[in-house]
Amino acid sequence: MSVKHGLLALLERGSRYGYQLRAEFEQATGGTWPLNIGQVYTTLARLERDGLVHALPESDGGQRPYEITDDGRVELTLWFATPISPADRPRDELAIKLALALTTPGVDVRAVVQTQRTATMRLLQEYTRLKGGAERPGDLAWRLVLDAMIFRAEAEVRWLDHCESSLARYAHIHPIPAAGGVSDDLAPAETTRETTKR
Amino acid sequence: MSVLELREVYRTHGKGETAVHALRGVTLAVAPGEFVAVMGPSGSGKSTLLNLAGGLDAPTRGEVVVEGSVLGGLNRKQLAAVRRRRVGYVFQDLNLLPSLTAAENVALPLELDGMSLRKTRRHAIAALEEVGLADLALRFPDEMSGGQQQRVAIARALVGDRRLVLADEPTGALDSQTGEAVLKLLRARVDAGAAGVLVTHEARHAAWADRVVFLRDGEIVDTSGPLVQPEELLHNVPGVRA
Repeated sequence: MSVKHGLLALLERGSRYGYQLRAEFEQATGGTWPLNIGQVYTTLARLERDGLVHALPESDGGQRPYEITDDGRVELTLWFATPISPADRPRDELAIKLALALTTPGVDVRAVVQTQRTATMRLLQEYTRLKGGAERPGDLAWRLVLDAMIFRAEAEVRWLDHCESSLARYAHIHPIPAAGGVSDDLAPAETTRETTKR
Repeated sequence: MSVLELREVYRTHGKGETAVHALRGVTLAVAPGEFVAVMGPSGSGKSTLLNLAGGLDAPTRGEVVVEGSVLGGLNRKQLAAVRRRRVGYVFQDLNLLPSLTAAENVALPLELDGMSLRKTRRHAIAALEEVGLADLALRFPDEMSGGQQQRVAIARALVGDRRLVLADEPTGALDSQTGEAVLKLLRARVDAGAAGVLVTHEARHAAWADRVVFLRDGEIVDTSGPLVQPEELLHNVPGVRA
Protein backbone atom coordinates (compact mmCIF):
# COMPACT_ATOMS: atom_id res chain seq x y z
CA MET A 1 0.00 0.00 0.00
CA SER A 2 1.22 3.46 -0.76
CA VAL A 3 0.69 6.63 1.21
CA LYS A 4 -0.48 8.04 -2.12
CA HIS A 5 -3.74 6.11 -2.18
CA GLY A 6 -4.31 6.70 1.50
CA LEU A 7 -4.15 10.45 0.96
CA LEU A 8 -6.39 10.27 -2.12
CA ALA A 9 -8.98 8.39 -0.06
CA LEU A 10 -8.89 11.07 2.63
CA LEU A 11 -9.15 13.88 0.07
CA GLU A 12 -12.21 12.19 -1.41
CA ARG A 13 -14.00 13.25 1.80
CA GLY A 14 -13.19 16.91 1.08
CA SER A 15 -10.24 19.25 0.79
CA ARG A 16 -7.59 18.96 3.49
CA TYR A 17 -4.17 20.41 4.26
CA GLY A 18 -1.02 18.52 5.21
CA TYR A 19 -1.37 18.32 8.98
CA GLN A 20 -5.02 17.29 8.74
CA LEU A 21 -4.11 14.53 6.30
CA ARG A 22 -1.41 13.23 8.57
CA ALA A 23 -3.70 13.19 11.60
CA GLU A 24 -6.56 11.49 9.74
CA PHE A 25 -4.25 8.94 8.13
CA GLU A 26 -2.93 7.89 11.52
CA GLN A 27 -6.40 7.78 12.96
CA ALA A 28 -7.61 5.57 10.11
CA THR A 29 -4.77 3.11 10.59
CA GLY A 30 -5.09 3.06 14.36
CA GLY A 31 -1.67 4.60 14.83
CA THR A 32 0.02 1.54 13.33
CA TRP A 33 1.48 3.55 10.50
CA PRO A 34 2.90 6.86 11.71
CA LEU A 35 3.73 9.33 8.93
CA ASN A 36 6.03 12.28 9.17
CA ILE A 37 4.80 15.54 7.73
CA GLY A 38 7.63 15.55 5.17
CA GLN A 39 6.29 12.31 3.67
CA VAL A 40 2.84 13.87 3.41
CA TYR A 41 4.10 16.94 1.55
CA THR A 42 6.39 14.96 -0.79
CA THR A 43 3.47 12.69 -1.65
CA LEU A 44 1.14 15.65 -2.22
CA ALA A 45 3.73 17.25 -4.53
CA ARG A 46 3.92 14.02 -6.58
CA LEU A 47 0.13 13.72 -6.70
CA GLU A 48 -0.11 17.29 -7.92
CA ARG A 49 2.57 16.69 -10.58
CA ASP A 50 0.53 13.70 -11.82
CA GLY A 51 -2.67 15.74 -11.88
CA LEU A 52 -4.42 13.65 -9.22
CA VAL A 53 -4.83 16.51 -6.75
CA HIS A 54 -4.55 20.23 -7.04
CA ALA A 55 -3.59 22.88 -4.55
CA LEU A 56 -6.10 25.53 -3.47
CA PRO A 57 -5.20 29.09 -2.46
CA GLU A 58 -3.50 29.41 0.91
CA SER A 59 -5.75 30.14 3.87
CA ASP A 60 -5.26 33.12 6.19
CA GLY A 61 -3.37 30.88 8.55
CA GLY A 62 -0.90 30.02 5.81
CA GLN A 63 -2.27 26.48 5.30
CA ARG A 64 -2.52 25.25 1.74
CA PRO A 65 -5.42 22.83 1.30
CA TYR A 66 -5.54 20.29 -1.51
CA GLU A 67 -8.48 18.79 -3.33
CA ILE A 68 -8.83 15.63 -5.37
CA THR A 69 -9.21 15.94 -9.16
CA ASP A 70 -11.35 13.78 -11.49
CA ASP A 71 -8.20 11.87 -12.49
CA GLY A 72 -7.53 11.39 -8.80
CA ARG A 73 -11.02 9.89 -8.33
CA VAL A 74 -10.42 7.48 -11.23
CA GLU A 75 -7.09 6.44 -9.66
CA LEU A 76 -8.78 5.93 -6.29
CA THR A 77 -11.64 3.88 -7.75
CA LEU A 78 -9.11 1.74 -9.58
CA TRP A 79 -7.16 1.23 -6.37
CA PHE A 80 -10.21 0.06 -4.43
CA ALA A 81 -11.11 -2.26 -7.31
CA THR A 82 -7.66 -3.86 -7.66
CA PRO A 83 -6.49 -6.61 -5.32
CA ILE A 84 -3.26 -5.96 -3.44
CA SER A 85 -0.34 -7.99 -4.77
CA PRO A 86 1.45 -10.09 -2.18
CA ALA A 87 4.75 -8.42 -2.97
CA ASP A 88 6.93 -7.05 -0.24
CA ARG A 89 5.52 -9.03 2.67
CA PRO A 90 7.90 -9.50 5.56
CA ARG A 91 7.39 -13.26 5.29
CA ASP A 92 9.42 -13.35 2.08
CA GLU A 93 12.57 -12.60 4.00
CA LEU A 94 11.67 -15.32 6.43
CA ALA A 95 11.11 -17.81 3.60
CA ILE A 96 14.52 -17.01 2.15
CA LYS A 97 16.08 -17.30 5.56
CA LEU A 98 14.58 -20.76 6.08
CA ALA A 99 15.59 -21.91 2.60
CA LEU A 100 19.13 -20.78 3.30
CA ALA A 101 19.08 -22.41 6.71
CA LEU A 102 18.10 -25.67 5.01
CA THR A 103 21.02 -25.59 2.63
CA THR A 104 23.65 -24.24 5.02
CA PRO A 105 25.55 -27.00 6.79
CA GLY A 106 25.40 -27.05 10.55
CA VAL A 107 22.27 -24.91 10.94
CA ASP A 108 19.52 -26.28 13.19
CA VAL A 109 16.53 -25.47 10.99
CA ARG A 110 14.01 -26.61 13.59
CA ALA A 111 15.51 -24.13 16.03
CA VAL A 112 15.24 -21.36 13.43
CA VAL A 113 11.57 -22.28 12.93
CA GLN A 114 10.91 -22.39 16.66
CA THR A 115 12.64 -19.07 17.35
CA GLN A 116 10.55 -17.38 14.71
CA ARG A 117 7.35 -19.02 15.90
CA THR A 118 7.89 -17.88 19.47
CA ALA A 119 8.55 -14.32 18.30
CA THR A 120 5.52 -14.26 16.02
CA MET A 121 3.40 -15.79 18.76
CA ARG A 122 4.44 -13.05 21.14
CA LEU A 123 3.48 -10.43 18.59
CA LEU A 124 0.13 -12.17 18.15
CA GLN A 125 -0.40 -12.04 21.92
CA GLU A 126 0.30 -8.31 21.91
CA TYR A 127 -2.14 -7.61 19.09
CA THR A 128 -4.75 -9.68 20.86
CA ARG A 129 -4.22 -7.84 24.10
CA LEU A 130 -4.64 -4.50 22.34
CA LYS A 131 -7.82 -5.81 20.79
CA GLY A 132 -9.16 -7.21 24.04
CA GLY A 133 -9.11 -3.71 25.52
CA ALA A 134 -11.96 -1.23 25.54
CA GLU A 135 -14.45 -1.59 22.72
CA ARG A 136 -15.63 1.84 21.78
CA PRO A 137 -18.24 2.28 19.07
CA GLY A 138 -16.01 4.20 16.63
CA ASP A 139 -13.28 1.60 16.91
CA LEU A 140 -14.32 -0.71 14.11
CA ALA A 141 -11.75 0.58 11.59
CA TRP A 142 -8.97 0.26 14.14
CA ARG A 143 -10.04 -3.22 15.18
CA LEU A 144 -10.15 -4.38 11.57
CA VAL A 145 -6.61 -3.10 11.02
CA LEU A 146 -5.59 -5.00 14.14
CA ASP A 147 -7.43 -8.11 12.91
CA ALA A 148 -5.50 -7.92 9.65
CA MET A 149 -2.25 -8.04 11.59
CA ILE A 150 -3.60 -10.84 13.76
CA PHE A 151 -4.63 -12.99 10.81
CA ARG A 152 -1.32 -12.35 9.05
CA ALA A 153 0.69 -13.32 12.11
CA GLU A 154 -1.50 -16.39 12.48
CA ALA A 155 -0.81 -17.33 8.86
CA GLU A 156 2.88 -17.09 9.54
CA VAL A 157 2.60 -19.38 12.55
CA ARG A 158 0.62 -21.89 10.49
CA TRP A 159 3.18 -21.77 7.73
CA LEU A 160 5.93 -22.35 10.32
CA ASP A 161 3.95 -25.33 11.66
CA HIS A 162 3.80 -26.61 8.10
CA CYS A 163 7.56 -26.12 7.67
CA GLU A 164 8.20 -28.03 10.86
CA SER A 165 6.09 -31.01 9.83
CA SER A 166 7.67 -30.96 6.35
CA LEU A 167 11.07 -31.01 7.98
CA ALA A 168 10.08 -33.92 10.19
CA ARG A 169 8.75 -35.86 7.20
CA TYR A 170 11.82 -35.02 5.13
CA ALA A 171 14.16 -36.12 7.92
CA HIS A 172 12.19 -39.35 8.10
CA ILE A 173 12.53 -40.12 4.36
CA HIS A 174 16.11 -38.86 4.04
CA PRO A 175 17.81 -39.55 7.36
CA ILE A 176 20.56 -37.02 6.70
CA PRO A 177 21.06 -33.94 8.89
CA ALA A 178 19.45 -30.67 7.87
CA ALA A 179 22.39 -29.75 5.63
CA GLY A 180 21.31 -32.44 3.13
CA GLY A 181 19.68 -30.20 0.53
CA VAL A 182 16.38 -28.73 -0.50
CA SER A 183 13.47 -30.94 -1.34
CA ASP A 184 10.97 -29.83 -3.93
CA ASP A 185 8.00 -30.31 -1.70
CA LEU A 186 9.25 -27.91 0.94
CA ALA A 187 7.47 -24.62 1.17
CA PRO A 188 10.57 -22.44 1.65
CA ALA A 189 12.15 -23.61 -1.59
CA GLU A 190 9.00 -22.87 -3.51
CA THR A 191 8.57 -19.42 -2.06
CA THR A 192 12.20 -18.65 -2.81
CA ARG A 193 11.72 -19.37 -6.48
CA GLU A 194 8.84 -16.97 -6.59
CA THR A 195 10.73 -14.33 -4.72
CA THR A 196 13.81 -14.46 -6.90
CA LYS A 197 11.66 -14.02 -9.99
CA ARG A 198 10.70 -10.54 -8.91
CA MET B 1 0.71 -20.13 45.34
CA SER B 2 0.12 -21.75 42.00
CA VAL B 3 -3.34 -23.14 41.32
CA LEU B 4 -1.82 -25.84 39.13
CA GLU B 5 1.65 -27.28 39.23
CA LEU B 6 3.17 -30.05 37.15
CA ARG B 7 6.49 -31.22 38.56
CA GLU B 8 8.73 -33.26 36.26
CA VAL B 9 5.74 -35.11 34.92
CA TYR B 10 6.16 -38.21 32.73
CA ARG B 11 3.37 -40.19 31.16
CA THR B 12 4.17 -43.40 29.34
CA HIS B 13 1.59 -45.62 27.69
CA GLY B 14 2.53 -49.29 27.33
CA LYS B 15 5.81 -50.97 28.19
CA GLY B 16 9.12 -51.96 26.65
CA GLU B 17 9.73 -51.47 22.93
CA THR B 18 6.18 -50.40 22.13
CA ALA B 19 6.02 -47.84 24.94
CA VAL B 20 4.74 -44.41 23.92
CA HIS B 21 6.18 -41.50 25.86
CA ALA B 22 3.37 -38.98 25.79
CA LEU B 23 5.03 -36.59 28.23
CA ARG B 24 8.68 -36.49 29.15
CA GLY B 25 9.60 -34.38 32.15
CA VAL B 26 7.15 -31.51 31.88
CA THR B 27 7.29 -28.84 34.58
CA LEU B 28 4.69 -26.09 34.51
CA ALA B 29 3.09 -23.78 37.08
CA VAL B 30 -0.03 -21.70 36.54
CA ALA B 31 -0.79 -18.89 39.00
CA PRO B 32 -4.20 -17.37 39.81
CA GLY B 33 -5.07 -14.83 37.12
CA GLU B 34 -2.77 -16.52 34.64
CA PHE B 35 -3.88 -17.97 31.32
CA VAL B 36 -1.51 -20.46 29.70
CA ALA B 37 -1.96 -21.87 26.21
CA VAL B 38 -0.37 -25.15 25.17
CA MET B 39 0.41 -25.57 21.49
CA GLY B 40 2.05 -28.32 19.52
CA PRO B 41 1.49 -30.73 16.64
CA SER B 42 -0.82 -33.74 17.03
CA GLY B 43 0.79 -36.35 19.21
CA SER B 44 2.94 -33.81 21.04
CA GLY B 45 1.23 -34.54 24.36
CA LYS B 46 -1.14 -31.55 24.61
CA SER B 47 -4.25 -33.46 25.57
CA THR B 48 -2.32 -35.79 27.88
CA LEU B 49 -1.08 -32.73 29.72
CA LEU B 50 -4.60 -31.43 30.14
CA ASN B 51 -5.97 -34.78 31.32
CA LEU B 52 -3.22 -35.02 33.91
CA ALA B 53 -3.85 -31.45 35.07
CA GLY B 54 -7.52 -32.24 35.59
CA GLY B 55 -6.93 -35.51 37.43
CA LEU B 56 -8.52 -37.52 34.61
CA ASP B 57 -5.26 -39.43 34.13
CA ALA B 58 -2.30 -40.10 36.44
CA PRO B 59 1.38 -39.48 35.67
CA THR B 60 3.81 -42.39 35.34
CA ARG B 61 6.33 -40.29 37.23
CA GLY B 62 6.31 -36.81 38.77
CA GLU B 63 3.58 -34.88 40.58
CA VAL B 64 0.47 -32.95 39.67
CA VAL B 65 -0.60 -30.42 42.32
CA VAL B 66 -3.97 -28.64 42.28
CA GLU B 67 -4.37 -25.87 44.86
CA GLY B 68 -1.82 -27.50 47.14
CA SER B 69 -3.16 -31.06 46.89
CA VAL B 70 -0.85 -33.59 45.27
CA LEU B 71 -3.36 -35.53 43.18
CA GLY B 72 -1.35 -38.77 43.44
CA GLY B 73 -1.70 -38.66 47.24
CA LEU B 74 -5.52 -38.54 47.20
CA ASN B 75 -7.86 -41.49 47.42
CA ARG B 76 -10.54 -41.95 44.77
CA LYS B 77 -13.18 -40.07 46.70
CA GLN B 78 -10.94 -37.11 47.41
CA LEU B 79 -9.78 -37.00 43.80
CA ALA B 80 -13.37 -37.01 42.59
CA ALA B 81 -14.12 -34.12 44.93
CA VAL B 82 -11.21 -32.08 43.55
CA ARG B 83 -12.44 -32.76 40.02
CA ARG B 84 -15.99 -31.69 40.88
CA ARG B 85 -15.23 -28.63 43.00
CA ARG B 86 -11.93 -27.20 41.88
CA VAL B 87 -11.64 -27.93 38.19
CA GLY B 88 -13.79 -26.81 35.29
CA TYR B 89 -13.48 -28.56 31.94
CA VAL B 90 -14.42 -27.24 28.53
CA PHE B 91 -14.03 -29.73 25.72
CA GLN B 92 -14.58 -29.56 22.02
CA ASP B 93 -17.12 -32.29 22.49
CA LEU B 94 -19.58 -30.36 24.65
CA ASN B 95 -21.08 -33.30 26.52
CA LEU B 96 -24.31 -31.45 27.26
CA LEU B 97 -27.11 -33.79 28.23
CA PRO B 98 -29.88 -33.36 25.66
CA SER B 99 -32.71 -34.15 28.08
CA LEU B 100 -31.72 -31.40 30.52
CA THR B 101 -32.25 -27.64 30.12
CA ALA B 102 -29.30 -25.26 29.98
CA ALA B 103 -29.74 -24.44 33.67
CA GLU B 104 -29.98 -28.12 34.63
CA ASN B 105 -26.87 -28.96 32.64
CA VAL B 106 -24.96 -26.20 34.36
CA ALA B 107 -26.26 -27.18 37.81
CA LEU B 108 -25.40 -30.85 37.37
CA PRO B 109 -21.85 -30.84 38.81
CA LEU B 110 -23.06 -29.04 41.94
CA GLU B 111 -26.03 -31.36 42.29
CA LEU B 112 -23.74 -34.37 42.05
CA ASP B 113 -21.74 -32.77 44.79
CA GLY B 114 -24.77 -32.86 47.08
CA MET B 115 -25.66 -29.18 47.06
CA SER B 116 -29.30 -28.26 47.70
CA LEU B 117 -31.48 -27.82 44.65
CA ARG B 118 -32.28 -24.21 45.38
CA LYS B 119 -28.60 -23.34 45.77
CA THR B 120 -27.54 -25.16 42.62
CA ARG B 121 -30.19 -23.30 40.70
CA ARG B 122 -28.97 -19.95 41.95
CA HIS B 123 -25.37 -20.79 41.03
CA ALA B 124 -26.43 -22.07 37.61
CA ILE B 125 -28.31 -18.87 36.78
CA ALA B 126 -25.32 -16.79 37.91
CA ALA B 127 -22.99 -18.83 35.70
CA LEU B 128 -25.35 -18.49 32.73
CA GLU B 129 -25.53 -14.76 33.34
CA GLU B 130 -21.76 -14.59 33.21
CA VAL B 131 -21.79 -16.05 29.69
CA GLY B 132 -24.72 -13.86 28.65
CA LEU B 133 -27.32 -16.63 28.43
CA ALA B 134 -29.53 -16.08 31.49
CA ASP B 135 -32.61 -15.69 29.29
CA LEU B 136 -32.05 -19.09 27.67
CA ALA B 137 -31.82 -20.98 30.97
CA LEU B 138 -34.92 -23.08 30.25
CA ARG B 139 -33.99 -24.09 26.71
CA PHE B 140 -32.78 -27.54 25.79
CA PRO B 141 -29.45 -27.93 23.96
CA ASP B 142 -31.08 -28.70 20.61
CA GLU B 143 -33.00 -25.41 20.83
CA MET B 144 -29.75 -23.45 20.86
CA SER B 145 -27.07 -22.57 18.29
CA GLY B 146 -23.64 -24.17 18.41
CA GLY B 147 -22.15 -21.03 19.90
CA GLN B 148 -24.83 -20.87 22.60
CA GLN B 149 -24.31 -24.53 23.46
CA GLN B 150 -20.60 -23.92 23.84
CA ARG B 151 -21.35 -21.03 26.18
CA VAL B 152 -23.56 -23.32 28.27
CA ALA B 153 -20.68 -25.80 28.42
CA ILE B 154 -18.43 -22.98 29.61
CA ALA B 155 -20.97 -21.90 32.21
CA ARG B 156 -21.00 -25.49 33.46
CA ALA B 157 -17.20 -25.43 33.65
CA LEU B 158 -17.24 -22.17 35.59
CA VAL B 159 -20.19 -22.80 37.93
CA GLY B 160 -19.50 -22.48 41.63
CA ASP B 161 -16.05 -21.53 42.76
CA ARG B 162 -13.69 -23.30 40.39
CA ARG B 163 -10.26 -21.81 40.26
CA LEU B 164 -8.79 -24.03 37.57
CA VAL B 165 -10.33 -23.95 34.11
CA LEU B 166 -9.08 -26.45 31.53
CA ALA B 167 -10.08 -26.09 27.90
CA ASP B 168 -9.31 -28.45 25.02
CA GLU B 169 -9.93 -26.83 21.61
CA PRO B 170 -13.02 -25.13 23.07
CA THR B 171 -13.81 -23.24 19.89
CA GLY B 172 -14.16 -26.42 17.85
CA ALA B 173 -16.10 -25.75 14.68
CA LEU B 174 -17.36 -22.31 15.70
CA ASP B 175 -16.95 -19.41 13.28
CA SER B 176 -14.31 -16.79 14.03
CA GLN B 177 -16.62 -14.33 15.82
CA THR B 178 -18.26 -16.94 18.02
CA GLY B 179 -14.92 -18.60 18.69
CA GLU B 180 -13.51 -15.29 19.77
CA ALA B 181 -16.43 -14.72 22.14
CA VAL B 182 -15.61 -18.06 23.79
CA LEU B 183 -11.98 -17.06 24.27
CA LYS B 184 -13.05 -13.71 25.71
CA LEU B 185 -15.19 -15.50 28.29
CA LEU B 186 -12.30 -17.70 29.35
CA ARG B 187 -10.02 -14.69 29.46
CA ALA B 188 -12.50 -12.79 31.64
CA ARG B 189 -12.79 -15.71 34.07
CA VAL B 190 -9.02 -15.86 34.38
CA ASP B 191 -8.80 -12.10 34.85
CA ALA B 192 -11.28 -12.52 37.70
CA GLY B 193 -8.77 -14.75 39.48
CA ALA B 194 -8.96 -18.28 38.06
CA ALA B 195 -6.05 -20.13 36.51
CA GLY B 196 -6.61 -21.23 32.93
CA VAL B 197 -5.00 -23.77 30.64
CA LEU B 198 -6.00 -23.87 26.99
CA VAL B 199 -4.93 -26.56 24.56
CA THR B 200 -5.21 -25.49 20.94
CA HIS B 201 -3.48 -25.70 17.60
CA GLU B 202 -4.83 -22.29 16.58
CA ALA B 203 -2.28 -19.55 17.15
CA ARG B 204 -4.99 -16.89 17.04
CA HIS B 205 -6.70 -18.49 20.02
CA ALA B 206 -3.50 -19.21 21.92
CA ALA B 207 -2.76 -15.50 21.59
CA TRP B 208 -5.38 -14.74 24.25
CA ALA B 209 -3.09 -16.37 26.82
CA ASP B 210 -0.43 -14.68 28.92
CA ARG B 211 2.02 -17.42 28.12
CA VAL B 212 2.18 -19.89 25.25
CA VAL B 213 3.98 -23.17 25.85
CA PHE B 214 5.14 -25.19 22.83
CA LEU B 215 5.17 -28.95 23.22
CA ARG B 216 7.03 -31.29 20.92
CA ASP B 217 7.37 -35.04 21.42
CA GLY B 218 6.22 -34.70 25.01
CA GLU B 219 8.64 -31.97 26.00
CA ILE B 220 8.31 -28.20 26.38
CA VAL B 221 10.57 -26.74 23.71
CA ASP B 222 9.82 -23.07 24.14
CA THR B 223 7.65 -20.56 25.95
CA SER B 224 6.51 -17.20 24.67
CA GLY B 225 6.39 -14.74 27.51
CA PRO B 226 6.68 -12.59 29.48
CA LEU B 227 4.98 -10.05 27.30
CA VAL B 228 6.80 -7.07 25.86
CA GLN B 229 5.79 -3.52 26.65
CA PRO B 230 3.51 -1.58 24.28
CA GLU B 231 6.29 0.93 23.46
CA GLU B 232 8.45 -1.88 22.10
CA LEU B 233 5.50 -3.24 20.19
CA LEU B 234 5.32 -0.36 17.72
CA HIS B 235 8.82 -1.17 16.56
CA ASN B 236 7.75 -4.71 15.74
CA VAL B 237 4.69 -3.93 13.66
CA PRO B 238 5.33 -4.72 10.00
CA GLY B 239 5.19 -1.60 7.89
CA VAL B 240 5.81 0.80 10.76
CA ARG B 241 8.67 3.16 10.28
CA ALA B 242 8.93 4.50 13.81
